[in-house]
Amino acid sequence: MVVPAVEPSDETLAARAAAGDNSAFEAIVQRYQARVFRLACRLTSDTDAPDVLQDTFLQVYRHLQSFRGDSQFGTWLYRIATNAALMHRRSKARHPADSLDQYLPRFDADGKHAATPVQLQVASHADELLDRQTLADKARDVIARLPDTYRDAFVLRDLEDMPTAHVAQVLGIEPATVRQRVHRARLMLRGYLSDLVGVQP
Amino acid sequence: MTHVACASGVELLMDFIEGVLPPDVQAALEEHVAGCERCAAFVASYQATPRILRDATAISLPADIEASLKAFLRARTNAFK
Repeated sequence: MVVPAVEPSDETLAARAAAGDNSAFEAIVQRYQARVFRLACRLTSDTDAPDVLQDTFLQVYRHLQSFRGDSQFGTWLYRIATNAALMHRRSKARHPADSLDQYLPRFDADGKHAATPVQLQVASHADELLDRQTLADKARDVIARLPDTYRDAFVLRDLEDMPTAHVAQVLGIEPATVRQRVHRARLMLRGYLSDLVGVQP
Repeated sequence: MTHVACASGVELLMDFIEGVLPPDVQAALEEHVAGCERCAAFVASYQATPRILRDATAISLPADIEASLKAFLRARTNAFK
């Protein structure tokens, strides 16, 4: 009878790698490289992501001994990757600030939604109404246009699907601040998707 | 806390979805959304937005970039020898 091999946990691999087991480090790279690359693309750009990917794993290799298990290994590694991405972004000239406030929802004098229900829900169908490549290009561009602090919180919380508490740990901010930034980003992006399919937010 | 207008409800939406509002506020908002077609439509699109953008940016790691990473780590660490 073949007994299926049990994958060692992240923490087991991290401990072995910290003790000098290079194959354990290689297994960590194998396990996380695609996720780190995707995160790097979302936080920087397709052109910068390969450098962020390399920086991240070099930092992981150098700092494995300092991983104490206070947080999950994945959260620890995401913090390193996020910091590598932010450092990279800081070193680049920023594109001019470009407000997405025009995409925020509008209300009448009584605080009621100005748009009709049909207009309000159309963003839900952006992925059915647009072709895949167009949506991918537009998504990448608009995420890069978010204010940096909104972008970081939104990418980690909503695109990487991390729990709010972990995002707070990675970014070193309060969970309430994470929620507030993610909320603003969602409002802008929702309005942007509406606009893309031809409905003013 | 009993009255919720669409505008004030929208401001509470993230906290509402994450379930961190005080119970009476949570209940008032639930009641408003249940009776407001516009807010129900808004909430649906607000919740769809992360999913749509997540799928649209879900790229995979190209083989050449993976190879460069390994070459980079081989040169600078004791791994991938």
